[in-house]
Amino acid sequence: MTTTLEHSAPKVTSKAGGLARHQNFGTALIGGVLVAWLAWFIARRVCDPTGSGYSDLTAIWLGIGWTVGFWIGIGAFNGPLRWIAGRDHTRADDLYYAGEGQGRARYWKYTTDHKVVGVQYIVMTMVLLGVGGTLAMAIRTNLIAPGNHFVNQQVYNGFIAVHGMLMILALIVAVAGPWANFVMPIMCGARDMAFPRLNALSFWTLVAAAGLLLTTLAVGSLDSGWVVLAPITNQVGVAMDFFALAIVVFTVSTTVAGVNTIATILTMRTKGMTLERLPIFVWGSMIAAALGLYAFPYFLLVESLQILDRTVFTSFFVATGGGTGWLQANLFWLMGHPEVYVILIPAVAALFEIASVMSRKPVFSYRTAIAGMVGLAGLSILVWAHHMFTTGWAPTLGGPFMLTTEIISIPTGVFFLVLIGTLWRGNIWMKLPTVWMFGFIANFIIAGITGIYLSDIPIDNQLHGTMFVTAHFHYVFVGSVLFGAIAALAFWFPKVTGRFLNEFQGRISFWLTFVGVQVTFLAMFLSGLKGMPRRISSYSILFEHTNLISTIGAYTIMSGMLVLLGAIITSWRHGDPSGPNPWHANSLEWMVSTPPPLENFDVLPVITEDPYTYREELVRS
Amino acid sequence: MSIDTHDQHVAHEGHHESPEVVDGRQRLAVWLFIGGDFVTLSALLFAYLYLRGVNTDGHWMNMLGYQGHTFGWYENLAGSAAGLPAPTLIHVHPLAAGFNWLVTLVTVISAGVVWLGERGLRATKNAKSYSAMAWLATAVVAVAIVLTIIQLRHIPQIFVAKNDSHVMAYTTYSSAMLVLIGSALVHLLLLVFLGLGLAIRSARGVISGEKWHQARLVRIFWVWVALSAVVISAVTTTVNTIH
Repeated sequence: MTTTLEHSAPKVTSKAGGLARHQNFGTALIGGVLVAWLAWFIARRVCDPTGSGYSDLTAIWLGIGWTVGFWIGIGAFNGPLRWIAGRDHTRADDLYYAGEGQGRARYWKYTTDHKVVGVQYIVMTMVLLGVGGTLAMAIRTNLIAPGNHFVNQQVYNGFIAVHGMLMILALIVAVAGPWANFVMPIMCGARDMAFPRLNALSFWTLVAAAGLLLTTLAVGSLDSGWVVLAPITNQVGVAMDFFALAIVVFTVSTTVAGVNTIATILTMRTKGMTLERLPIFVWGSMIAAALGLYAFPYFLLVESLQILDRTVFTSFFVATGGGTGWLQANLFWLMGHPEVYVILIPAVAALFEIASVMSRKPVFSYRTAIAGMVGLAGLSILVWAHHMFTTGWAPTLGGPFMLTTEIISIPTGVFFLVLIGTLWRGNIWMKLPTVWMFGFIANFIIAGITGIYLSDIPIDNQLHGTMFVTAHFHYVFVGSVLFGAIAALAFWFPKVTGRFLNEFQGRISFWLTFVGVQVTFLAMFLSGLKGMPRRISSYSILFEHTNLISTIGAYTIMSGMLVLLGAIITSWRHGDPSGPNPWHANSLEWMVSTPPPLENFDVLPVITEDPYTYREELVRS
Repeated sequence: MSIDTHDQHVAHEGHHESPEVVDGRQRLAVWLFIGGDFVTLSALLFAYLYLRGVNTDGHWMNMLGYQGHTFGWYENLAGSAAGLPAPTLIHVHPLAAGFNWLVTLVTVISAGVVWLGERGLRATKNAKSYSAMAWLATAVVAVAIVLTIIQLRHIPQIFVAKNDSHVMAYTTYSSAMLVLIGSALVHLLLLVFLGLGLAIRSARGVISGEKWHQARLVRIFWVWVALSAVVISAVTTTVNTIH
């Protein structure tokens, strides 16, 4: 079916939108700075009798002020205030908020159209990955030779922490942010997300959180690693406060986004779009959102307790006051391991979609694929303590946690089975998304197998805290999730822009990145096997060669990413036109015009079969 | 995927959705938010019980320091020629169970008022009565807030030396109570916002005998807050001291 659905939306009136007409990213920045200054000014007098102006409590109030001011400036409170006043939005207001007739300015505003939010997430993800990647290059440059001091040790430690958390945040939103916003509602046959204003809130809250996180680089070093466990955090200054508050604000964003995603999928599907006809990416988005709803409250709590310990002198993680670092480690990893799958599942689900379309075959064992994702999500909440094997916490539970961790390789194996089964004897179209998908498969095998090693307590006792672990999770996040995210970008890029992502530049980028990943992280495995600890800025000459190789590999990855960035920028404006359905796919997002109109459909479609039924005449020879 | 864009029934729906459809979606969202809140509450209670169970160095309700005077008094003493005497092991007592349950009772009453108001609205279609009930529920929550603030002020603090300075610190029991009561306060403040919204909106006719769905949405969350208050009180008043 290649029908293109046309659209005609009513125009907004000149006064629609009210205060929102004057609010944008600029006013958000001004609001954030002003309220932050006001909060700091008051807190300094009330909470900081020493007058230094930089106590932890003052810093927290400054951060809260920034967030609240940013929300006021961008317009996040307009809706709630109108609700409480009983003056609900009119249809014209809704259309104004959706960005009707505002051109490019809508990308800088509290715009509710899910496609605008999707594009905002694309750009935001690239910014976060860019900053995090720059920090990674600084780290690798420092490690190019033993005793090298490209940056001083404190700054190096800060780079490690901020690089780690920034990349985690970026990857949490790398697939779910852009595509669970831009294409998922259309895939369901919906006109928008279930709660468009909450959608805008989740994005702009992420921006506020990113601002707080980047502030840590400017206010002193965060020399505590990205997991920021006590008591090592006691030595960190106000940077720790901004870091913890950034996480708290970030969890607000993810919770709101998770609720919105699930509500959209369960209640906004068009007629005939039964759960069994849902595109597999929609399933992945829903499962990841549900897992996030379970996991991120722990993140909120652990960082909130950290803030309280630092500001009002509670004793949650302070041993001298009766607290324990194990509580923090448990709460952190109760979030930390499910979070890996919140990141991974949408990427894998996108690849299922790509594999089906690019091989002209239905998703192999669709129900097994869903069961695999559900199983992975379910098991992921039972494995957290494998991060704590060497801490001495509950040694008797080591065996059960080792077992659950090894069992989780079964649903992970299902992913390979489904991907390879889908591609098997398919008429594979080797375009850019497919190339990145194959890169994912190769890298994910290494990521998965090394994970099994680390789940064994005797091996973990040897390798924990070494660069082996660093290499393992970089194969997961860079080699697997990032490759999946780029495959998804290449796949849906034509739907966003109406143009193909440049194939030639994209392939150069792929090979540079793929080779770079192997060079960087295989060498890093060797560093770890030789016993090189993580998070150190200077090392023994024993690790000289493998570190040199890793740094060369990292620069190769950087080259690949820069080529990709160039491809995205040039293709967005000058790429080859793609038409509405360049991959001859069957799911609904390809049935609407490109770019999709506001509210997507003039008449909601009725679905009569699943999206993976490819007809003979469309099968490429 | 095969689609049919000419379904007459669908075409007539246009871009407008019935209140029931919107309500179903909003109810799901409220339950999902409650789910997230449930995880947070569970994690808080886990932290409370875990700290009590571990009782590091016997510091669940004890801490080395000074108690009985204000922070300023101790600071002056520390700065005087005499200086502070040697710190002693201060034992804090559990917060008054009766007061804890009083706050919970007030919260439960407010939920009852909201529930009764909603039932009345749906039965009698009288929006003005509902508005009055919403004002009443909000006022009751305001009382709960005042009581909660009093409760927070009664959490014992101990004057201790920390990093070359002095602070008023909390034992782990007091820390856990601080965050549990603080969390309850945040929820109560949210209820005030929602209660005001219900009262104003029903007075303006936005919520009425025919359009009562938002009243139910708010009631669901309100009851959850009351229920969580009961759970917190039950746990913290029955499992606190270590014998």
